[in-house]
Amino acid sequence: MDLMIYVLDTLVFMGIFALLSLSLNVEYGFTGLGNFGKVAFFMAGAYTYAITSSFGWPFYLCLILAGLVASVLGALVSLPALRLREDYLAIVTLSFGEILRIFVKAEQWLAGGVWGIAVPSAFANMDFTPRMQTWASVVLVWVILIAVFVFLYLLMNSPYGRVLRGIREDDVAVQVLGKSYVLYKVQALMVGSAIAGVAGGLFAQYIRFIDPYMFLPLVTFTVWVMLILGGPANPWGAVVGAVIVEFFNRGSRILKDHLALPFDPHNVQYALFGLLIIFLLLYRPHGLFREKPLKTGAEAEVAKWQSSS
Amino acid sequence: MAILVVNGISKSFGGLQVLNQASLEVAEGTITGLVGPNGSGKTTLLHTIFGLIKPDAGTVSFRNQLITGLKPHQIYEVGLAFSFQLPRLFFQLTVLDNLLLAARNHIGTSFASALFLRRRWRRQETELAQKAMQILELLGLVHLALHPAGELSGGQRKLLEIGRALMADPVMILLDEPAAGVNPVLGRRIYQKLYTLREQGLSFLIIEHKLDILLDFADYIYMMDAGRVVLSGTPKEVIENPVFYATYVGETQNAAFRS
Repeated sequence: MDLMIYVLDTLVFMGIFALLSLSLNVEYGFTGLGNFGKVAFFMAGAYTYAITSSFGWPFYLCLILAGLVASVLGALVSLPALRLREDYLAIVTLSFGEILRIFVKAEQWLAGGVWGIAVPSAFANMDFTPRMQTWASVVLVWVILIAVFVFLYLLMNSPYGRVLRGIREDDVAVQVLGKSYVLYKVQALMVGSAIAGVAGGLFAQYIRFIDPYMFLPLVTFTVWVMLILGGPANPWGAVVGAVIVEFFNRGSRILKDHLALPFDPHNVQYALFGLLIIFLLLYRPHGLFREKPLKTGAEAEVAKWQSSS
Repeated sequence: MAILVVNGISKSFGGLQVLNQASLEVAEGTITGLVGPNGSGKTTLLHTIFGLIKPDAGTVSFRNQLITGLKPHQIYEVGLAFSFQLPRLFFQLTVLDNLLLAARNHIGTSFASALFLRRRWRRQETELAQKAMQILELLGLVHLALHPAGELSGGQRKLLEIGRALMADPVMILLDEPAAGVNPVLGRRIYQKLYTLREQGLSFLIIEHKLDILLDFADYIYMMDAGRVVLSGTPKEVIENPVFYATYVGETQNAAFRS
């Protein structure tokens, strides 16, 4: 096996999952919304990309549409859910993911049902070798990841980000201080879903073929493990968590070929995942990275004030 | 002129009638006190005024505008501010951020302007930070400005809760026991601050059990009992009324407040 291709493949997946982890960070880490249907928005993005690119539209347009469609779905899902208590948001989003997957499995006219749908490479007419295409995918994914990272960093270190964090702590108190938490929650879900949708588009573009079985709830839970490991409400945590978990995933898959075990070695990674989460929650409940206070320029005034008095 | 008119508010929780045709008025530019035994419905009335509880009957109007049925953030918009009895702070945010979140008309709190009007909101942030520091100075919390609110003691949390209402730049403030859990000297200092704000034209409706402080600063007092307003008048009138002692203070008229 070509080792370089494997490394590049790993990098692509790390980037895509880092995007998903960042998107969950907007919803759960900053706004406190437990979205257990992440895979649905990832899937919506992937299928939107697959269908629109089959029309021969340019890849950047397809990626933008993937984000938009996922974001609209995010808004639709949030509308009934936000009137309910937070745990119901988890149930609604979880079942939304299942419904979407089963819908796609059952239909044939739109996205090929269980047979899946082939996706053209974004770099198909650029005369690239397969290896160059993989390189191009790595660059595309990581450039978008960096852009999203910077975007979220700026957004979360603004008065807007402060309101989101406030909603996570106590949404009624935010409302008493004059901000409608419903609007902010819907926006947070839209932003998070849009990022997940773009990640889905990148996934479809890279893997070149998608079917409903790729979008099981396991994807959602993997993203949750990444965020909890890295540390919610810290953008670095989301990315580092994704990189570690993806590395771990691959590592345990390689390791199982070299281990003689009395049971199916496939299960090793799940057992290790479980242990990882237990030890993490016991000894480092905040994750690897802690939340950093906001940087808006206001904190600089405090130092002046404290030194003068 | 009355700035706030509460008219015939009733509210039941299950079979328990907490408010029974409660009515009161707050004159503009006054500190109006609301007293009464525990469970008489004071806090429920305050929550109803601020839209946190929907009344079964009755109306609330603020500056001749009907505000019954509005959501708390809409009531904030018309110029009211509210301070909880039990502090509801954002514990993982810094003390400074707790105050800044209360600021009115902050440009950067909307999604688009947070991204595209950075220069403008950063300038506003600096101004608001100075205002926040003045409030922290008053409350004696300057040295804790950059600490998470969760690190504050119970009394300090209470102070910050009041500070947020001051930060909101309102026309009128509803306060639920501002001096509870605060040492007497600081309690008085808070009321002195409220009094200077009153002289600048702000109005207050304050629930308070610390009568020695309240009666010194209030312009007018309402007393509630069993969901109704049973007594009202200037502090002088109230302390001379035997009903005040029978239902609330429990001591004879000659005790504490006569001097």
